[in-house]
Amino acid sequence: MIPLLDLSGLTRRYAGLVAVDGVDMQVMAGGVHAVIGPNGAGKTTLFNLVSGLVPPSAGRIRFVGQDVTGLAADRRAALGLARTFQNIRVFAAMTVLENVLTGLHARLAVGLPGVVLRLPRFRAEERRAVARARAALDLVGLADKAGQRAQALSYGDQRRLEIARAMAPEPPLVLLDEPAAGMNPAETEALATLVRRLSEFGATVLLVEHDMGFVMDISDTVTVLNFGKRIYEGTPQAVRQEPAVIEAYLGHKVAARLAAGAKAGVRGAG
Amino acid sequence: MPAWLDDFLWTYQNLVYALGINGLLALSMYVVLAVGQLSLGQAAFMGLGAYSSALMTLKLGLPFAAVLPLSVVVPMVFALAVGGPTLRLAGVYLAIATIGMGEVLRAVYLNVDLFGGALGLSGIPERATAPLIYGLLGLAVLALWLIGRSGIGRAMEAMREDETAAEVMGVPVRRYKMGALLASATLAGLAGCLSAHVSSFIGPNEYGFEPAVTILSYALLGGIGTPLAPVVGAWVLTLLPELLRGVSDIRLVLNGVIIVLAVLFLPNGLLAVRMKRIGARTAA
Repeated sequence: MIPLLDLSGLTRRYAGLVAVDGVDMQVMAGGVHAVIGPNGAGKTTLFNLVSGLVPPSAGRIRFVGQDVTGLAADRRAALGLARTFQNIRVFAAMTVLENVLTGLHARLAVGLPGVVLRLPRFRAEERRAVARARAALDLVGLADKAGQRAQALSYGDQRRLEIARAMAPEPPLVLLDEPAAGMNPAETEALATLVRRLSEFGATVLLVEHDMGFVMDISDTVTVLNFGKRIYEGTPQAVRQEPAVIEAYLGHKVAARLAAGAKAGVRGAG
Repeated sequence: MPAWLDDFLWTYQNLVYALGINGLLALSMYVVLAVGQLSLGQAAFMGLGAYSSALMTLKLGLPFAAVLPLSVVVPMVFALAVGGPTLRLAGVYLAIATIGMGEVLRAVYLNVDLFGGALGLSGIPERATAPLIYGLLGLAVLALWLIGRSGIGRAMEAMREDETAAEVMGVPVRRYKMGALLASATLAGLAGCLSAHVSSFIGPNEYGFEPAVTILSYALLGGIGTPLAPVVGAWVLTLLPELLRGVSDIRLVLNGVIIVLAVLFLPNGLLAVRMKRIGARTAA
């Protein structure tokens, strides 16, 4: 089975810094795949590389079996690669419904002549787009706010709107960049339910997140980055036990003490 | 035609032409601003349309029916040449490159015999008419209105608000920016051809930096929420000097004050309305 997203040797260098360093990673279709790592580990750069906002210094990106390394972000979106942003980027002056319709832009096929002449297929396409946009708003629970300006929504609702906008074209892969950032525990729990429901919509979820409880709760696979390198990949349970991961987060000394303590505990119990 | 209307048109003929032509120029500014770009090349595109069409009429003796559509060719070629390298870059590069283009072209008009030097080109036959000018203006407003109300207009607004987010939504931002610059060159080129063929004379200083800023102020005053807004801005700024004729000593000062006040107190222009496109209706 070919992976949905296949990164090989992906590297991004900035002056004096390697933000992403030879990362190999496969995201299989279905489920939730999380990327975690300490601050500055290269998670957001990795997302920007995958979505096409930053060109890689080296390496390849394959999406649905196609090499997309040289494709611009809008072409990747048209292939079905959607994303949200860590710092919310809704179109503030537009209504909620318009925001989601913008997410469907790559699905609009009627060209300029058809638009100017208001051909019947233009009108039919518009009706279909509105129906899809409303379905996406239903999914995130914003259906009753379709007519509000995006800037009038609460922080949590703006995050939901970004997810609806990304999900509207029914993309096979959606990238969520720190979806739980700035949310309170109740909102985070509701978000976890929502992220799980995205797969019912047919999307595989790749997410970056700092909230470990959230990650462990909803992920099927976790990839750990540190200093731009992939240091571990496995199930949430396995990641928790991995000394290299503990060291990345807590430092060498704490990791060593924890390991010693764990051994001592085992001996004491025996 | 009633006698009074005939009289009126005869007296204010130049003003009637100028209102229509400046309306087209305002639209050529609008299409670029509508995708979040700043070009100051509209006057230069107009000059290219004016000079190339005047030469086609004077030297080649082409009929006006051929000259008018051909007048957009040279401006479009220059738009491709300037936009190709600069539209990839974020920020002010397009504005700087288009100012440079205008100044270089002015020097060329001044120093190349074919363009008549400082004297410009004269004796251009009066071929354009008010119905033609207003017909083209009406068509342009209508087409841009229909585009603005569609998903393309929505994508343009998205680019204006957040280009990166728009690109990630699948909006082909580079193609749209180039398309907008080409449309801008087309509209300005037509305006140049029409103005050359109503005024019988064109000179190099009509297409320099000052007219470029005047064209920008049309859109600043009117706004860019709908295509009608910059046209209204152009009309106000074209009529204002005429209305202020009685105080001609401080005319330019008043003109400037009005622009400053508009920018300060009407940041979205005189007509600050959003396009009524599908899904745009707000409900509390």
